[in-house]
Amino acid sequence: MADYSIVGRPVDRRDAVQKVTGRVLHVGNMEPAGLLHVAVLRSPHPHARIVRIDKSRAEAAPGVAAVLTGADIAAMPGITPYHGPAFADQPVLAIDRVRHEGEQVVAVAAESRRAAEEALELVEVEYEPLPVVLDVLDAIKPDAPIVHDEIRPSGAFADLAHVKAGERSNICYHYKLRKGDVDKAFAEADRIFEDVFTAPPAQHVPMEAHVSLAYVDEGGRINIHTASQSPSFVRGELARMLGVPMNRIRVRVPYLGGGYGAKLYNKLEPIVALLAMKTGRPVKYSLSREEEFQTVTKHGVVVKLKTAVKGSAMTARKCEVYWDTGAFAEIGPRIVHKSGYTSSGPYKIPNVSIDSYCVYTNKPPAGPFRGFGVPQVIWAYDSQMDIVARGLGADPVEFRLEHALEEGDLFVTGTPIHACGLKEAVRRAADAVGWDQPKAPASGSKRRGKGIACGVKAVLTPSISGAIVILNADGSANVLSSTVEMGQGSESLLAQIAAEELGMPFDRVHVVQPDTDVTPYDTISAGSRSTYHMGNAVRMAAAKVKEELFQAVAGKLEIDAADLESRDGRVFVRGAEERGMTVTEAFLAKFGSLGTTMVGEGLCQPVVTPMDPETGMSEKCTEYWFASASAVEVEVDTETGRLEVLQFHAAGDAGTAINPKYCEQQLVGAATMHLGLTLFEQMVFQDGQLLNGSLLDYQIASIKDVPAACHPIVVEVPHKDGPFGAKGIGETGALTVAAAVANALEDAVGVRVRDIPLTAERIHEALKAARKVNGGT
Amino acid sequence: MTIPAFDLLKPGSVAEASEMLLEHGDEARPIAGGTTLVILMKQRALRFSHLVDLQSIPGLERITDNDDGLSIGALATHRSVERSPLVQRRAPALAQAFSHVGNVRIRETASVGGNLAHADYRLDPPPALLVHGAEVVLAGAEGTRVVALKDFYRGMYETVLEPGEILVEVRVPHAAPAARTVYSRFSSLSANDWPCIGVAALLSLDNGNVGELALGLSGVAEAPLLAAGLERFQGESCSEELWDAVCDVVDEQLSPVSDLRGSADYKREMTRVWVRRTLRELAS
Repeated sequence: MADYSIVGRPVDRRDAVQKVTGRVLHVGNMEPAGLLHVAVLRSPHPHARIVRIDKSRAEAAPGVAAVLTGADIAAMPGITPYHGPAFADQPVLAIDRVRHEGEQVVAVAAESRRAAEEALELVEVEYEPLPVVLDVLDAIKPDAPIVHDEIRPSGAFADLAHVKAGERSNICYHYKLRKGDVDKAFAEADRIFEDVFTAPPAQHVPMEAHVSLAYVDEGGRINIHTASQSPSFVRGELARMLGVPMNRIRVRVPYLGGGYGAKLYNKLEPIVALLAMKTGRPVKYSLSREEEFQTVTKHGVVVKLKTAVKGSAMTARKCEVYWDTGAFAEIGPRIVHKSGYTSSGPYKIPNVSIDSYCVYTNKPPAGPFRGFGVPQVIWAYDSQMDIVARGLGADPVEFRLEHALEEGDLFVTGTPIHACGLKEAVRRAADAVGWDQPKAPASGSKRRGKGIACGVKAVLTPSISGAIVILNADGSANVLSSTVEMGQGSESLLAQIAAEELGMPFDRVHVVQPDTDVTPYDTISAGSRSTYHMGNAVRMAAAKVKEELFQAVAGKLEIDAADLESRDGRVFVRGAEERGMTVTEAFLAKFGSLGTTMVGEGLCQPVVTPMDPETGMSEKCTEYWFASASAVEVEVDTETGRLEVLQFHAAGDAGTAINPKYCEQQLVGAATMHLGLTLFEQMVFQDGQLLNGSLLDYQIASIKDVPAACHPIVVEVPHKDGPFGAKGIGETGALTVAAAVANALEDAVGVRVRDIPLTAERIHEALKAARKVNGGT
Repeated sequence: MTIPAFDLLKPGSVAEASEMLLEHGDEARPIAGGTTLVILMKQRALRFSHLVDLQSIPGLERITDNDDGLSIGALATHRSVERSPLVQRRAPALAQAFSHVGNVRIRETASVGGNLAHADYRLDPPPALLVHGAEVVLAGAEGTRVVALKDFYRGMYETVLEPGEILVEVRVPHAAPAARTVYSRFSSLSANDWPCIGVAALLSLDNGNVGELALGLSGVAEAPLLAAGLERFQGESCSEELWDAVCDVVDEQLSPVSDLRGSADYKREMTRVWVRRTLRELAS
């Protein structure tokens, strides 16, 4: 590795002490004078017409400052009452109709949260229930109830401008890929494997629930403090909705208590902004845990896979993916597109057909969830990879290595693969789990098995990150970036990048928290994109500052700036360290004063070649690839069906690990989160009502569920354009968990389960069915 | 979510608490640890204008060892039972069962009396108390009465508590020296979740033959259950066949409710698995 001073070192997080001592300022801690609190009445029906709302008694209730309905918002001059990143299909508060249980109908702002909640009980809403559609496959039937009669386009993202909704259909987006001659390959196949896999809706469960605070300042500008992963988006979308210039809105984001995709785009911001405008007072809205379940979810899917094999090669694959996007599209179409085009896997398959559908149902809206849909498609295709390998009598690890795409190969979309450490991840994960070692013997009712899975995710492209680096005359530096620190370590990592590029000490670099008045545009803090995109922007900005600094030193020393380098806050002649000066001396040399700064700006904006709408082909559909592999050893109790993961090895390609410790923590954190989703998490609905919408009944993986042996494996295949070769790693550990566990389950007890979560009862049922087939009892 | 306004009444004695409850009728409820009641009130599923704070009554949290058994005050926390050297020595399965409830923050707050009076069908402690032949002391305006725990439950979230009556003490008779006890909890989802089912067993052996045998179960009926009719196995020699016969007798008494942790059929099958495992462990 190159000789870096701070890049590649596992420095401690900047926010560690603050966080463990409970001194972090979150939006929830902000209590400006005169604050009003919001409570929202939600729909008890999954689908109904709103016949009448009577809010008069609530308006007269003690402590109530304002009561707002969807109709009120629609009647406000110049206000657009609908929003959404893909379609403007979601009203801020329901208008005429409710489309899922828990949809927001009436908002109250009052002197206290209790006064607001008590006022809600005085609101009368008359509903006329409408037919409900819940199952994603029912929703695409011709006679299904239609969730949206019309869908308004959204102006939020230029790259989604091509997204057109289907007419009078619940399919709001369809991604299509056609490569080679699939029909011919199936006709000529030796064997055909056909499987249907499902995954249910689930919840992000960030430790901090959604919370937003708004006030209108003395200058009439709207100020928002919000727990958001996308401050730049919030500002732009609010400006559009409120009909004001972007600079009339200021969005600030302090540390987040986790996001995982739940806190993207607009969530509570429009309601607090409108109530602040209406009342002239600061307004805060924070969701209860129960409301979190009604706000945004992980897409449930049905994935149908059909694979043709000739000899020992896979010759064709047909993928149909049905995404349950719930009552509002949210960013569903983009998930359906980006994950859709990877749904045949990172394998050499000459003939491929993919259809990926985004489908409305009467469930809470589904949006981004750590992995952006890719965990769902890998769950399917890498379960089937094992089924095919076993069917052919091949070793699952060897079978994957034989078929895996390598540097320079074309992905199914026609985009060349670069810097994708897939094979290394598979090999290292397999080695770590002891793939070649014999299986542990059965003990009583317990059986052990090992499983592996791999897959790739393509980074969201196009997207934009801008950064500004300001070097102060004393050698300290400020980094202006809209990347949100939500636990991933971006603050310290960006400081490492800036410090390395400038040649300044790490502890002299301060990263400014997102503030749209100050920090430049950034698409989102999500999709494992910040290290690469914001990292590049920060590095570029720092390089510009360094250039100015070197010019100043070069002028004074009368040498060529190209002969200079900097380290630990000092600039000197390469090979002659005694000839140089401090930053302060350089400032004095250039400006004759210390009262100034050197400022550099950087912009990272990777582009794509748009896909052919009929074939899905593109010479460049993404900027880079994340390679993931998971290897597990499980123990299954054959009497109860309970599966325990004994060892977990999460391998992911980070490009270059700017901070190896954060990379390891991200791999283990993502794997743990998805272990819960693999083994027991699911939102259970009955007649459109959520049965387990609280943490009493919906449990995530606790420390007791984490395997005793849980090891990260950081693979480093540097990317030519990454900052110091780095890519991202926030989701990589999440991608391949489910398939690895299901594959280990089959290795242990010979049953294949195609639905997650792999609950004890489900495995027990599969074991009973297998015994019946085998003639037992 | 906020809790609707209420008056917190601070009785100085059980009798005073009982009077307060009678005075306010359905509008009042006793509160001990509050771990369940507060959630239900925040959800506005339950609404009471008055809460009678049992924590203000001195002495209700004591755990003592009497000649014939343990006395556990209704206000003793789960954590104090779990960590009590007395309980650990006299009724290890009980300490074990309490250690499974919720998490350490819940156990530091939740009371023994609240756990029992809530009468949830899938809690950990009741099966362990049932196999010990535990009794509850109920104090009301008319005086106190002692009820066997197995007779305390009337159905899902229902008990024999009369208006104004308060569960003040749990009496756990000492098991015979030869008896061994164990509590097995089966979680079908997350390890921290409510149990799918819980099985407590008490078994004493007499020359390798069954002496005393008791099985307490949770999650498999509308209320915690003490299996009846196990006396018939006294004197039988321990064997897999015997455990199967015990399972058959137990099975007839189950009326499982399908829930998120398992279907009725699954719970029935798991009861068989865990009764057998538990007895096997005690007999070994």
